[in-house]
Amino acid sequence: MKRFFAALLAGLALLSLPAAAGAIEIKQITTPLGIKAWLVEDKSTPVIALSFSFVGGTASDPAGLSGATDLMANLLTDGAGAMKAQAFRQRQEDAAASIGFSASLDRVSGSLRVLSANRDEGFELLRLAMIEPRFDPEMVDQRRAQTIAALNQAAQRPASVAGRTLMATLFAGHPYAADPQGAREDLAKLTPDLLKKRAAAILLRNGLTVAAVGDISEAELARQIDSAFGKLPVGTSPALPPQWVPPTKPRTVVVERPVPQSTALMALPGIPRDDPDWYAALVMNHVLGGGGQQSRLFNEVREKRGLAYSVSSGLRTYKSAALLVISTGSANERVAEAIRVIKAEMVRLRNDGITEQELTDAKTYLTGALALSLDSSGSIASLLHSMQVDGLSPDHLTRRGALIAAVKLEDVRKMARRLLRDEALTTVVVGKPVGVTPEP
Amino acid sequence: MLPSRRAPIVTQVVVYKVGSADETFGKTGVAHFLEHMMFKGTDKVPGGEFSRIISRNGGRDNAYTTFDSTGYHQTIAAERLELIMRMEADRMTGIRISDREIVPERQVILEERRMRVDNVPSALLDEAVRAQLYGRHKPYAMPVIGYPDDIKKLSVNDLSTFYRRYYAPNNAVLIVAGDTTTEAVRKLAERYYGPIASRKTEPRRRPSKGAPDLPQKVIRADARVAEPRWSRLWLAPSYRMGETKHAYALQVLARLFGGSETSRLWRALVVDGKVGLSAWASYSPASLGLTSFDIGVHPAPTRSMADVEKAVIAEMKRLLDGGVKPEEVERAQNQLLAGAIYSQDSLASGPRIYGTMLSTGGTVADVDAWPQRISAVTPAEVQAAAEYVWRDDGAVTAMLTPAEGSR
Repeated sequence: MKRFFAALLAGLALLSLPAAAGAIEIKQITTPLGIKAWLVEDKSTPVIALSFSFVGGTASDPAGLSGATDLMANLLTDGAGAMKAQAFRQRQEDAAASIGFSASLDRVSGSLRVLSANRDEGFELLRLAMIEPRFDPEMVDQRRAQTIAALNQAAQRPASVAGRTLMATLFAGHPYAADPQGAREDLAKLTPDLLKKRAAAILLRNGLTVAAVGDISEAELARQIDSAFGKLPVGTSPALPPQWVPPTKPRTVVVERPVPQSTALMALPGIPRDDPDWYAALVMNHVLGGGGQQSRLFNEVREKRGLAYSVSSGLRTYKSAALLVISTGSANERVAEAIRVIKAEMVRLRNDGITEQELTDAKTYLTGALALSLDSSGSIASLLHSMQVDGLSPDHLTRRGALIAAVKLEDVRKMARRLLRDEALTTVVVGKPVGVTPEP
Repeated sequence: MLPSRRAPIVTQVVVYKVGSADETFGKTGVAHFLEHMMFKGTDKVPGGEFSRIISRNGGRDNAYTTFDSTGYHQTIAAERLELIMRMEADRMTGIRISDREIVPERQVILEERRMRVDNVPSALLDEAVRAQLYGRHKPYAMPVIGYPDDIKKLSVNDLSTFYRRYYAPNNAVLIVAGDTTTEAVRKLAERYYGPIASRKTEPRRRPSKGAPDLPQKVIRADARVAEPRWSRLWLAPSYRMGETKHAYALQVLARLFGGSETSRLWRALVVDGKVGLSAWASYSPASLGLTSFDIGVHPAPTRSMADVEKAVIAEMKRLLDGGVKPEEVERAQNQLLAGAIYSQDSLASGPRIYGTMLSTGGTVADVDAWPQRISAVTPAEVQAAAEYVWRDDGAVTAMLTPAEGSR
């Protein structure tokens, strides 16, 4: 360990030297075992970041076993091979390596972050986590108890209750309705054996998407990927959930909680990532309630009326559904007015579209904003990974500007008419709202 | 100036050496309220346009207020550095604060407080705990966002006075990170910040002692609490105040005692004793005044607060009596140093680290010497730091429970 310690100090000294120049250049590699990966080689910091995922997420939990995929993903790093949880974690810490897995509705995702000097150890631990996870009964019990505590806490947090209620309402009868962390009665049924089966069903070499960034060459990355992922079996990934059928009438759900501020979520059917008019939707959302402090909702709800601290809208895409979700939080006595103002803005955008100035501003922001997120190896790796999941090509980063520039006023107006439909609006309010009437 | 050519972007951070701890009781929240008003208009940039201009230039911006500092930051394409520097310099002295603008903004801030504090039982408890630890109405005892009654009363005059007293180039730190050069930054800074007049600023004062009546216990029984939490906070020296020689050993102590799932506390309470669902220790030394060393535990179902307290005290005693092993200290040092390497991989963390240090009385040399100082900490120093800080007459015990008397 002494030697490693000295290497760390040397590493810190190196970092004060000027970093190497270089724009983002994506290389596509295919390993000797046939695994495809994207790489951005960057020697400016002695770090390697890996972002990857497997097809199949919490929506593929077996019937009556909700929470299995999420718990399985958590437990992959809780002991592997001959090492129990504490020993496995200690090895990661000693190598300054960090391995993590998480589950979303459609995928199980993983990440590795390691100093390039310790890459062999980092990739070896990653291999062990995926190929030989232990699922020791005492760790299953520990993580299960923590998950149940987290569910209990979420059930009291207005923003979590709102998010959960929104998904349960919109997707009633569809796999996306279930809590990704599981139901308490299902969690009680999960055994090490069931979790092993879940891992075997999802961790398949042919369901893998992988991206790497950092201080590693193409040949070395190919070697490391083969050693970490090469032993995974080939098989059939879980089937995608059926396509969602969006609601056709407005609904308002109120969940009572003893808090001074109500959280409100307003959701509409959105637009799939591969829709040809995606960029018109991106522009429309930016003008309506997109990031930063420039949107119409920010201006009308917060700046002019002081009705909320936070108000925004965002596009969410899943494999079998897409949403446009507006969120805000306002004092119980004023939340009805906040909702009224938001609805009025939806109508205004639908009827009048956006202005030439708004279109120009949105384009410059959306073109420039992507670069802002490229601020660490991990964030670049996760961008590369999501581009692959979305079916984009490596030259997308150079083509994206032209796609945004091509959006016309009329495209945005059409998109507003397509998405901002009162009859498809689902509203969830959590708190003690005054003047909000539930619509079943 | 922190160069990085990874992406063609730059981040500018201006940190003023003023925070909520420079307020007085009755006018709490003024530093944070002023931070909000900084996004309103000047003669050159009309109201609400600041962020809009940055956004339409493809950038992002925001701001924050802490006990000791107030920071404003923008990230944007490298060639637009001049734009954000010109605008930041303009609002250093040019903000026009009017009743028309503070009326809705006051409601926004009250909503922010509801979201962050009033809706959150643990945040309400933390507010009460700070009042007990530092002494009621003392600088670190009052919430950064302010008390609702104060927020409702703050006037144009309160905000303008605070602004004129503290916002000046000689009371600010400028940090630029990203794809630019020291020469370019110096030239622009001289052009835009250079002509702004200095102001005479008073030395900032922080009490050298905490509350006079410790130890204390604070319990919040709240129907909105689903999972109980036990915690204990000790008054602790920072880099700047108290027995500052312990500041580095305390970081190593926090790491090895409760900084990860391999820490002493986690092993004893979560893995072996099954008393807790999770357990942690934390310590933040970058403070102008005293700070705190915190230990916390989420009790396991069926285990009482008393069980948890007993187990924590037993672990503390084991360390105080038996000391720490050299390899434990080395592991903790490795983890802290690795964290420093990874943070240099991110454009955002460099400015944050320097901004915090420079606005709490530290220097660039302090930041640069941090790895050496951490790696110089010995096992005996870790034990001595624990002995110094873990004193009964310096602590507040805090319990968050679902309802009176349960568990």
